[in-house]
Amino acid sequence: MRRREFVVRACAGLAALAPGVPRLPVSGRAAAWLLVPMDDAQSDHLKAYGLAFRLLERGGKAEWFLNYRGGAFLLPADGATSRDAALAGVTAEPMDDARVTEARGEIRNGNMDAVPLEKAPKVAVYAPPNAAPWDDAVTMALNYAGIRFEKIWDPEVVQGGLRSYDWLHLHHEDFTGQYSKFFLNYAGAPWLNEMVEQNRSMARSLGFPSVPAEKRAVAQAIGQYVERGGFLFAMCTATETLDLALAADGVDIAASYADGSPMDRNATAAMKWDRSLAFQGARLELSPTMPVYSDIDGHQVNSPDRRQPLGAFTLFNFSAKIDPVATMLVQNHRQAIPDFYGLTTSFTRRRLKPSVTVLAEETGAPWVKYIHGERGQGTWTFLGGHDPEDPQHQIGDAPTDLSLHPHSPGYRLILNNVLFPAAKKKELKT
Amino acid sequence: MAPSRTASIAFFALCAGLRTAAGQEATLPAAFELERRGNYEAAAEVYRELLGRKPGDVSALLGLERVLLPLNRSTEILPVVRAGLAANPSAGALYGVALRGWAAADQPDSMRAIAERWARIQPGDEAPYREWGAAALAGRHREAAIAAYRLGRERLGRPDVLAGEVAQLAVADGDYATAAREWVPAVRRLPGYRITAVATLSHAPASKRPEILRVLAAEPDFVARRLESELRARWGDPLGGLRALEAGLPQAGDKAVEALRGLVEQLRMHRTPDALLARGRALEAIAARLPAVQASRTRLEAAQAYSAAGDREAARRMLSGLADDRATPGAVASGAAGALLTVLIGEGKLSEASRRLAELRPQLGGEEHAELTRSLVAAYIRAGELDRADSALAGDSTIEGFALAGRIKLYRGDLKGALESFKQAGPYAGDRADATRRTVLLALLQPISADSLPALGAALLQLEQGDTARAVAGLQVVAEALPPSAGGAEVRLLAGRLSQVRGDHDLAERLYREASSREARATAPAAELALAELLLDRGRGAEARALLEHLILTYPESALIPQARRTLDRARGAVPQT
Repeated sequence: MRRREFVVRACAGLAALAPGVPRLPVSGRAAAWLLVPMDDAQSDHLKAYGLAFRLLERGGKAEWFLNYRGGAFLLPADGATSRDAALAGVTAEPMDDARVTEARGEIRNGNMDAVPLEKAPKVAVYAPPNAAPWDDAVTMALNYAGIRFEKIWDPEVVQGGLRSYDWLHLHHEDFTGQYSKFFLNYAGAPWLNEMVEQNRSMARSLGFPSVPAEKRAVAQAIGQYVERGGFLFAMCTATETLDLALAADGVDIAASYADGSPMDRNATAAMKWDRSLAFQGARLELSPTMPVYSDIDGHQVNSPDRRQPLGAFTLFNFSAKIDPVATMLVQNHRQAIPDFYGLTTSFTRRRLKPSVTVLAEETGAPWVKYIHGERGQGTWTFLGGHDPEDPQHQIGDAPTDLSLHPHSPGYRLILNNVLFPAAKKKELKT
Repeated sequence: MAPSRTASIAFFALCAGLRTAAGQEATLPAAFELERRGNYEAAAEVYRELLGRKPGDVSALLGLERVLLPLNRSTEILPVVRAGLAANPSAGALYGVALRGWAAADQPDSMRAIAERWARIQPGDEAPYREWGAAALAGRHREAAIAAYRLGRERLGRPDVLAGEVAQLAVADGDYATAAREWVPAVRRLPGYRITAVATLSHAPASKRPEILRVLAAEPDFVARRLESELRARWGDPLGGLRALEAGLPQAGDKAVEALRGLVEQLRMHRTPDALLARGRALEAIAARLPAVQASRTRLEAAQAYSAAGDREAARRMLSGLADDRATPGAVASGAAGALLTVLIGEGKLSEASRRLAELRPQLGGEEHAELTRSLVAAYIRAGELDRADSALAGDSTIEGFALAGRIKLYRGDLKGALESFKQAGPYAGDRADATRRTVLLALLQPISADSLPALGAALLQLEQGDTARAVAGLQVVAEALPPSAGGAEVRLLAGRLSQVRGDHDLAERLYREASSREARATAPAAELALAELLLDRGRGAEARALLEHLILTYPESALIPQARRTLDRARGAVPQT
């Protein structure tokens, strides 16, 4: 669903939110509803999102009680939903109409809101065909929660395939086309050889002179997708490199091993930051051997002399009734979350555009962790880091088994983003 | 102005001049402190101050080089190092800094010029070529590094010059044969290189290993034999490794013992029969080279390794005389007695073991004697000699004793007595696996109302003796006679598990299905879970998923539900296969 549609339909949504108007089919029987608590009473926070998503896929309707019991879901207590909850091991409390009314009263009187969830978004994950399913936090979260998605890559994006999707996820792709700048340090590694060959042959087959040129075209298509109303969620190095690729229109920011010509020594000054989504004024890393792109990342994990230690980040508390979008994105049962590294771990505060909404920050640090913004009719959300439950993630590490982390607050942030496009939202007022 | 006043002003002016903009006094400790705090800009300023006064100060120059690196300003070292070399042209360390500075500036000609200058003042030294090569590598100029090493070797006229460096480059290129050829002279010259040589060569893919071994075999000396030995051991051929080592062991006893001990250490964590055998043989070879008193302990270790490897004959050879020899130290004699009994029990010579145990009684401590007695009892049980086991155990009121007594009663069919003994043993007798096994038996016995069931005891004894096929047949017969809720389902579940382990999946599936009786609500979830896992392993994912959903929805209170959910996740591909 596109953002413009949301705004147009907001009035209908607001009308539906009026007291006394039932938003979901209500029967007179007891326990017509299931409340899926998202506070510490929940036995599997991550699968709860899948439960709500599958209900929407079946054509059902739900409500997201923002800030109520950790961001609870209200679902109809039909047989399919009850069965699904039991199979998934999701805690769902039967509620009769009286208790639902009571909850609504509490929501009305506090910093809470009830947002209808209407349609399961069509989800796309951008990943090369041979990407390990366990090396991308979002893919893992979607698989674990049982949320259906499709994988797409460069051919689909360049040929306009993004139009078919409501929500697009990017993870650790390098949109500058420099193979995560591992080319020199990991020279000879089989996985790197495969990555290089795959990207080169894809660039050739799509008619581009080099991988950086092709990736820039992909980045531009993604930028246009957002402009036209798409929902973009990016993590790790995709955040930083997407913006660098967008801002580098006509500027060579790739090392010679990637495109045959050295990086423009004046690239920092030549960048066109009006084209980027989130960042501006960044200073680019000139060394081709340093797996660092710019000073956008606050933690610089691959630069031993500049690396910053991990701390914890704190989610902002937004006004649910005035700012439901930001509130949805930070629903959690934990306010402070341990930080985790990625090729891009965090975002330097002084490099953010003024229009960016900061959703989470490390108090007192010069960086933030989780940001959101709008472009045209769409929105983008960036979360730094690679895997919330593998803070020191290294190449070749064992995959994270989310059944061991069913309450992961970091993974909840990812899943908030997946359900966010399902919400029928009021317009952002702040 | 009075002279004293003039002097004071000059002094204060000097002091002021020695303070940096950061307010730090320009001394080396102050610079180190700034560097330690990560204030590289200020540290660089202090180092520059110091070098302004004393351009050839090696410590300050190295410090400046260190702090310029994280500031991404490494090339700024060049004018400073140039001044340093003018002031102190014989300091080798300064040339190293200069080389790295030119490398950062990507100026290969200047690197070469500096290296040549350095080589002229230190002829016969490898350092200029080594640093030149290293600086070139830091700038990713591999060919330049190779050229530097070649030139060094040519000028110094020795084949072992820079061999370690060339070997490491060859490893990085995947040229393991060259690496092996270079490592041999490198280790000959610097024996400390051996560990790096083995570590780097051991990563060679399997296809390259024969070539490496051929290269090493062509070298005549002990250095090559030892490299070969350690590599073979790492690549899963410990006996081959021992043979290679033995072929080149030097005459000098201490060198041979050191090399053999190295292999023994390398094999310490390996528990394969070959590794244990190789370890036993290496220890035996060490013992042969040691004085008698030290040798006895090593022979005991060799015996234990042989025994664990299953070579009882060799173990016995090592132990012969040790246990009875009065000259053997007490702890060794006691250990040898225990090892010898273990060997006898392993060979099934229980009467001889029993006799030896009685003879050794005066030499053994009380606890040790009791432990060996229990080992003997366990062996009697496995042999089916329940009366002799009972008799040997008599009077043992420890929890381990109760656990053994429970097994004897169980195999006799005395279910009530077995239950009582297992309860007395509790969860602490033996190791965790023993405790788990007893818990499983308790779960099996508790639903059965009969006090005595010899057929069940006989079937379980067959299982203890390793005859799984007859045990399964016996358990099926027992299960036929028991209602599902009174042990029948539990016995079928056990028989199903055993059938699955034996690879008889069809029988296992039938037994699991029979055990999934709704009448046996305590057993059915476990049987359904076991069946689902079997179906998953057999590629029948859809059936497994349906069964798991049935289990979760039908028995929501079962303790197995979390495991069932995890298996369901696995069946759906929602979690990684681990």
